Amino acid sequence: MHWDIFCRVVDNYGDIGVTWRLARQLVAEHGLRVRLWVDELAALARLCPETDAQAARQMLCGVDVCHWSPLWPGGVAVADLVIEAFACELPEAYVTAMGQRAQPVLWLNLEYLSGEAWVEGCHALPSPQANGVAKFFFFPGFTPATGGLLRETDLLARRQAWQAGEFLQRLGVQPALGARLISLFAYENAALPAWLEALAQAPQPSHLLAPEGRILGDVQGWLGGQTLLPGECRQVGQLRIQLLPFLAQDDYDRLLWSCDFNAVRGEDSFVRAQWAARPMLWHIYPQAEDVHLDKLEAFLDRYVAHLPVVQAESLRNMWLAWNGRGDMRQAWEDYLRYWPAHRQHALDWAAQLARQDDLAAALVQFYRNWL
Amino acid sequence: MKTAQEMRVNSVALIDGQPWLIQKAEFTKSGRNSAIVKMKLKNLLNGSKTETVYKADDKMEPVILERKEVTLSYINGEDYVFMDPEYNSYELRAEDLESVLPFIEEGMTDVCEAVFFEGKVISVDLPTTIVRQVVYTENAARGDTSGKVMKPGKLRNGTEIKVAEFVEIDDWIEIDTRDGSYKGRTQAPQA
Repeated sequence: MHWDIFCRVVDNYGDIGVTWRLARQLVAEHGLRVRLWVDELAALARLCPETDAQAARQMLCGVDVCHWSPLWPGGVAVADLVIEAFACELPEAYVTAMGQRAQPVLWLNLEYLSGEAWVEGCHALPSPQANGVAKFFFFPGFTPATGGLLRETDLLARRQAWQAGEFLQRLGVQPALGARLISLFAYENAALPAWLEALAQAPQPSHLLAPEGRILGDVQGWLGGQTLLPGECRQVGQLRIQLLPFLAQDDYDRLLWSCDFNAVRGEDSFVRAQWAARPMLWHIYPQAEDVHLDKLEAFLDRYVAHLPVVQAESLRNMWLAWNGRGDMRQAWEDYLRYWPAHRQHALDWAAQLARQDDLAAALVQFYRNWL
Repeated sequence: MKTAQEMRVNSVALIDGQPWLIQKAEFTKSGRNSAIVKMKLKNLLNGSKTETVYKADDKMEPVILERKEVTLSYINGEDYVFMDPEYNSYELRAEDLESVLPFIEEGMTDVCEAVFFEGKVISVDLPTTIVRQVVYTENAARGDTSGKVMKPGKLRNGTEIKVAEFVEIDDWIEIDTRDGSYKGRTQAPQA
């Protein structure tokens, strides 16, 4: 079976993060021939350093990675299954060729992750096209009525067997005894200073690990404009801040497993933090008209559904504060009162999600059913 | 061509050569400022129904439809009979009126539009604003007069919608038929 995945990098690393991870898993676990079309190879190079950002075509981890240039090459054979990631527009010539292919083609639009209820009603619905090709919308999600989440077969076993020592040493991280290890990956965030203040003045020391990214400016701003280089640390009160280099996908997983608390953003790191089964904080991708807040609330409704009211409230308040709705300092301090319960909840949530099929398996099954 | 989000309920799109009546359309914001439209469609040639989803900016081919003013004549079980000014009657099944059914009731005087495809009536559009009487609602608890606090109110045909807390039993209200929302309290329509 031959699959094509099309990825247009809109901004950040969410699009390429999801499609690269999916492509690798389809090759490694389902034995598929996968071609990944990416318009911005430099973004892939951050997640997979072996990438040659100038190459028109290269094999990486068994995936045939092709540069999706504005000038679509002639003679590209259409695959058995075509995924347009996040509603990206496929090349017109390719769409025409899909309609002319002798064997039928399945065309899927892999949509964004959302915990909202409407997703279940839209998942796997057809989207009849003018060229006659069977097209469907495929939604990842948190329930069996959706396509599930990306999760490699051995992911949870690898996490459970994980020993952080050597990895942290390689990154040059030496947490103080008893320090809470925190990873920070976020967009620019006005709530950051209040959180850092709280960490700096807390009775327990914290060691904050920030891989290079958009939040760096806010971190440096809070440090009084000091420039931080990868590997460098700054100590403010009980808080030690350390900048890390941008991490490849597998190393980022290891970072999440190594930390006591993970602040994540967008879609890909958000999902990985759930599999890391550590208490976490989500900076959701901001959208026009505050639509993202509905999506945040929808996920929170699922995430805290079975928690005692006070614990649920502490978690909800902190997530809302991190996303611009509330006092982050107060919310963090309230959240910490239920720390052991939050740790247990993170484990329970990951175990609950692991009971449903993963996204790659669901896609393969969908294709088989369609055949 | 129109985009999927421009297609309205009770319009018809030509999809893969077949005319499909849009019986329901729900617009939803997806991720990263993109949007989708979920549609309930009915094939006008064979009567089959399906649910579909489109990107909001997907192109669709609309079919130009004939329209005619009609009023409700009577309801007989699942059959709804409308009449035009020339006293021609048009019969529709409840399933053909799904999108407007919650606001159709015996005795209503609204001037509606019957929608025709190849000479055959396929649905009826209600005016954007209609006036209906609330036959039951709980008493207001706090005496809110802003119109922002809402409570359930039942119409004569059993449909329940959210109304302002100050609305009382037997009050007349305006309803936006595009989304079924309460617009405000009003006077009883003149007979």
